[in-house]
Amino acid sequence: MIAKPVSYYLSPALLALSTVLAAENWYLRPERAAAWATVVLVLGCMALALLLLPRRRPADSNEGEAAGRRSGDSIRRGIVTAGLILAISLSAKLAATLGVGGSADLSQRATMAIMGAFLMFTGNGIPKTLKPLSALRGDAARAQALQRFTGWTWVLAGLTLMIIWLVLPMDLAQLLSFLLLPSSILITVAQAVRLCRATAAGGGSTPGQSQEEPCSPY
Amino acid sequence: MNRVFKALSDPTRRRVLQLLRERPMSAGELAEHFPVSKPTMSAHFSVLHEAGLVEAEKNGRTILYRLKMSVLEDALLGFAQTLGWNPKTPEGASPPTGNTGEKRRPLKSEVRP
Repeated sequence: MIAKPVSYYLSPALLALSTVLAAENWYLRPERAAAWATVVLVLGCMALALLLLPRRRPADSNEGEAAGRRSGDSIRRGIVTAGLILAISLSAKLAATLGVGGSADLSQRATMAIMGAFLMFTGNGIPKTLKPLSALRGDAARAQALQRFTGWTWVLAGLTLMIIWLVLPMDLAQLLSFLLLPSSILITVAQAVRLCRATAAGGGSTPGQSQEEPCSPY
Repeated sequence: MNRVFKALSDPTRRRVLQLLRERPMSAGELAEHFPVSKPTMSAHFSVLHEAGLVEAEKNGRTILYRLKMSVLEDALLGFAQTLGWNPKTPEGASPPTGNTGEKRRPLKSEVRP
C-alpha cells in the first residue's frame, strides 16, 4: 500500500477551514461582501482542482501514471500553501474584527511574512531541481551556477521580506518590499544574461556537452 | 537530514562538494584531487549520493557527478567548512585534502561489504 503524503489530507482540511473563516468574516463585515465573495470563489476553484486530480493507486507503476501522480502531488502542495496563506490571513482578519489581540494590519503582515517563507522554501529547492545532462542545452557548469545563484537570491529575498514585515512599520515595509521583489528578479535576470554572454564567449566546460546553443542554461 | 550531516562531517566529502561547485566532474577527475584509493573515493561518492547531495549520471563510459544541494545544505557546507566540523571521525582517520603523497586506509564504515 502506498503511503499518502501529508498534503493529501491537509489540502481539503485547509480549504474547509478557509471557507469557514471567509464565511465568518463575511457575516461579521457584510460591507466588504465583494472581497469575501472573491475569496470564496478562489476557494471553490481550488476545491474543484482538488476534485479533478487523479487518485493515487497502488498500481501506478508505469512512467505516465507516475508522472501524473507527481504532478498531482505538486498541485496538492500548491493548494496547501495557498490554503495556509488564506487561512492565516483570514484568521488574523477575523481576530482584528472581533478585537481579539493584534492590530488591524496583522492580517497583511502575516500574509506577507508567509509569502516570504514561501519564497524561501521555493528558492531553497531551486538548485536541487536538475535536468539530465543529455537534456541540458548549453553549458552544465553555468546552468548550475545560475541555479545556485537564483536559489540563494530567492532565499535571501524571502528572508528579508519576512523580517521587513515582522519588524518594520507598515509604510516602510510596503516601500521596501516594493523595491525588494523587482530587484530580486532583475538581479536574477542580469546574472542569467551575464552567464549566457560568458558561455558565448568562452564555451562550455562540461565533458560531452555540445556548444550549438550556448545561451540556454536550462 | 541525518545522512546530510554524516556526509558533511568528512573533510574529503566536503572538498568533493566544493570541487563540484565549480562544474560537474567525472569520478576520475575528482579522484585526482585526493591522495586516496579509488574504492575509498567510490565509498565517499556513495555516501554523498545517498544523502542526495550529488547526482551521478552516466556519460558514455564515465560517471559524471553533479551538485544537487539545496540552499540550506549549501549553507551547512559553508558552516562545516568554516568551523572545520568533524564530529565523529577518529583522529587522523581522515586526512586533510592537501596532497600528502600517502594513501590512507579506508575506514570500516567506508568499506563496502
